[in-house]
Amino acid sequence: MTDGVEYAEHADEPRTHVTLRLIAQDPAVSGDDGRILTARVKVPWSRMEDGPRGARLHVVDYDTATGRYVKHAPLGKDDLFADADDEVLRTDLAFHAQHVYATAARTLSTFETALGRRLPWGFGSHQLYLVPHAFAEANAYYSFEDRALLFGYVPPADPRGEAVFTCLSHDVVVHETTHAVLDGLRRRFLEPSLPDQAAFHEGFADIVALLSVFSMRPVIEQALGKPDRSGRIPRGRIQPDALRKSMLARVAEQIGSVLTQGRGALRESALNPPPADWAKRPEFVEPHRRGEVLVAIAFDLLIEIWYRRLQALFSRPNGETAGGRGITVDRARAAEEGAKAASQLLHMLIRGLDYLPPVEFDFGDLLNAVLLADNELVPDDDLGYRQLLMAGFAKAGIQRSSDRVTDVLEAELAPHYLGINFAGLRSDRDEVFRFLWQNARRLDVSTDYYTVIESVLPTQRIGPDGLIVPESVATYVQMADMTAREFTDESGLQLSPAIDPRTPIQLFGGGTLIFDQFGRLKLHIHKRLDDWRRQQKRLDHLERTGRRDSSARLGFSDGFARGQTFAELHRTQQDSGETW
Amino acid sequence: MSTPIRVRVRMYQVGFGDCFLVSVEYDAPLPDGRDTRHILIDFGTSHSPREGMARGRMGDVAALIEEHTGGELDVLVVTHRHRDHLRGFEVDAGAAIMKRLAPKLVVRSWTEDPELSETANGPAAAPDETAGVSRASARYAALLAEAQEQVAGLATLVGLDDEVRAAAEDQLKNAEAVALLNELSRDGRGRYLHAGMDSGLADVVPGLEATVLGPPTVDQDPRVARQREEDPEYWLTALGASLRVVGSAAQADARSPITHGPGPVRWLIDRLANQRSRSAARLVRDLDDALNNTSVILLLKVGGVSLLFSGDAQIENWRHTLDQLGDDADLRDRLAKIDLYKVGHHGSRNATPRSLHALWKARAADLPRLAAVMSTRQGVHGRNDNAVPQQHLVAALREVADLYSTDDLDGGEEYLELVADAARGPFRIVPPPA
Repeated sequence: MTDGVEYAEHADEPRTHVTLRLIAQDPAVSGDDGRILTARVKVPWSRMEDGPRGARLHVVDYDTATGRYVKHAPLGKDDLFADADDEVLRTDLAFHAQHVYATAARTLSTFETALGRRLPWGFGSHQLYLVPHAFAEANAYYSFEDRALLFGYVPPADPRGEAVFTCLSHDVVVHETTHAVLDGLRRRFLEPSLPDQAAFHEGFADIVALLSVFSMRPVIEQALGKPDRSGRIPRGRIQPDALRKSMLARVAEQIGSVLTQGRGALRESALNPPPADWAKRPEFVEPHRRGEVLVAIAFDLLIEIWYRRLQALFSRPNGETAGGRGITVDRARAAEEGAKAASQLLHMLIRGLDYLPPVEFDFGDLLNAVLLADNELVPDDDLGYRQLLMAGFAKAGIQRSSDRVTDVLEAELAPHYLGINFAGLRSDRDEVFRFLWQNARRLDVSTDYYTVIESVLPTQRIGPDGLIVPESVATYVQMADMTAREFTDESGLQLSPAIDPRTPIQLFGGGTLIFDQFGRLKLHIHKRLDDWRRQQKRLDHLERTGRRDSSARLGFSDGFARGQTFAELHRTQQDSGETW
Repeated sequence: MSTPIRVRVRMYQVGFGDCFLVSVEYDAPLPDGRDTRHILIDFGTSHSPREGMARGRMGDVAALIEEHTGGELDVLVVTHRHRDHLRGFEVDAGAAIMKRLAPKLVVRSWTEDPELSETANGPAAAPDETAGVSRASARYAALLAEAQEQVAGLATLVGLDDEVRAAAEDQLKNAEAVALLNELSRDGRGRYLHAGMDSGLADVVPGLEATVLGPPTVDQDPRVARQREEDPEYWLTALGASLRVVGSAAQADARSPITHGPGPVRWLIDRLANQRSRSAARLVRDLDDALNNTSVILLLKVGGVSLLFSGDAQIENWRHTLDQLGDDADLRDRLAKIDLYKVGHHGSRNATPRSLHALWKARAADLPRLAAVMSTRQGVHGRNDNAVPQQHLVAALREVADLYSTDDLDGGEEYLELVADAARGPFRIVPPPA
């Protein structure tokens, strides 16, 4: 007989997290002891079945090239590979399954923590399949249709050799998981558009991968170099320039080395910051290359933030002030600050995602969104991160987009809420549409075009002061189908002569509405459909790059299955800008 | 002394494929009594012409070539070993005629040197140097051949898309054709070119200057093999290994039937069958790219006219030349002023460098208009942004050139003929007899 509630759990079942050993970068990277560099990390856990299969992720170890299928045991409380030697890590398929599950789970959880809610996948199902040995090919991608992340492997050249597995590369798994998460957040970002949009998918996935690697302390410790007997390293090693150099050489350079095609992006971008005139160069139309611009900005920011965080370690009681020769710093502490910096920056960037417009992304939108979101959550900004962010983007020539955000609370004509159910604004698409309809004039939203509320998502984020910031984020999309001739009539602008006036075209617009906890609209982030100059640029770009669909229409879905878009993207080489 | 007075280019109707006869005509007979020299560039097809157009059977095309050359061929250039460039050599009638024509010089890519491929089965067996080609390059050629071997397995695969199988067939070793070419190349008649080499064409065709712009060897430009710096063979060995796994699993029919009740796992595994085809298609396309990049790129100059034939060379092959454009004003000038361009790789998206197009766009107004020739049957390969020819490339070419395509020959013509005054050009179409 028990009194009251029974709290007993199955003895062998964890509750919310398990600690698992992961390969920190990829199997080619070894630590001080000459063994594969690994890290023990806390990984979200849910009730498990064979696969392993949890609430959000389902590993199906099926190899399409050979027809082999292996079912692995569920992940439990004890890490079966906690002390496994390198050969086991490299070759044991069960470890591969654990690695891909744990890495994807950790990535999803990073997004959910930063955004303060569960995140849906872009497809209509709750569990994302992870296929660790999907095909014998140096490729890995998110396949929307299969609801899966597919990881390939490169078989050994001769029978004595070992295969190279993309599922063992931390950054590859994080990168692909990020694609799946982004698709769930902003599904229109796969529509044919200006080059920034595809670049964002690639660049952001790389940023998450890079910062995720950095958020594991052992990786940074290794990169900081060997410590003395008391675990300390010379102060000179953690000056910004030295950090930049050592992190580039030891971390960024090794990332992405599993795949030759397309996935060298991280390394390339960190090693070669984009030239000042990147926006004008044809090779920067290619998504990976263009995405590198974002990665380079993020990497610089990481170093800056880290360095600011390190300041606290520099002055010693009764000792010389920072900067003197012979001064040392505890390596583990310095690495910890680096891991924190990476984690902070990552959260800051992810928080911005909710403040992005739902369509027609451009780089300025990201800066804008991150600043807005950060301002809501961290009004003080003691460490000056927002200044850093603006400076970083400005250095790459990216400006905040100025005319797209309305601070509704400050607006002269406030929206009215007559007949609106405030609770509905936090959950009900039809209620939000009703609100938009009522306030169309005040919000400057044209009702001439087909309009649909795509999502209404409540969020709860915890600020650094420990207080909760509840918000609700709704997105709407506007669409118009017309002919090229109708476009020129409507806009008064000329399209490229290569576009026949009879060509059917599709235009997108839309916005993001941020409501406060009472259902009052705070912000309206808007991409007008009738921004004709943007539409003209988009159509000309699509024509120039041959992005017509199977019926020769422009701006509609591009004819590729969505999954195959990524399959192809991840094979593209560093484009020289010479292709048509 | 005989001086070239005319250059004639015949583009044969083969459907999808390349087959060009370049004839140089002189004002007086040469020492052998003939007043013309003939260069055949490629002799292939992968898809016959569309219905209602000329038959385009390679035997018939060969007969035409025999007639146009008067039974003697001076130079045979086979840009690379894809079916749409050498299929004719496999057809009995075509082979017989080619033997009769007995080309005096047979030009192919350095990767085709039979000595190289016979001895280059592995790094240990590869010679240090074969005709200026180092061990790394020899290994590259051998890996290409191995990958083709593996693709042969794919062509017979059960459960693959017909499209993938067809694509795999295009990558076959075309052993018969290559054997015939090896035979035609015997007794020192074969020449295996890489960038910067003397082509040997001038010895057979007086007054012709030929510059070999590609392909580079791996030593000249590692990017042609798309390799990682630290692992010179990674990509091609990986490709070969992948193809072996995909091919052997199917040949042995090794897949065990999976017994799964209805449920999420079966749903996924059923769907992944598509991915298997797509993965195979990507592997095949990788090999396709690699072979295309072995294409010989020739810049020919006769008197005052020049012609650019680039086979199916893609950007990776072209880069070696493009990188020189910045410093080499002479080369830039020569490429800008060409009179005839054989549209690279049937008008695909990555074979006509934008830099080249930009040069043509900036041509002086007083230069004669460029002629572009293309023998690509439309609707055969690719869709939308992968289709050949790329419509926006075609549109861009029309801006700078008169574009002639065999696919437009709707009167049943068997070939299309352009002719230029060797002193100054330009190339003009020869109207068919009324």
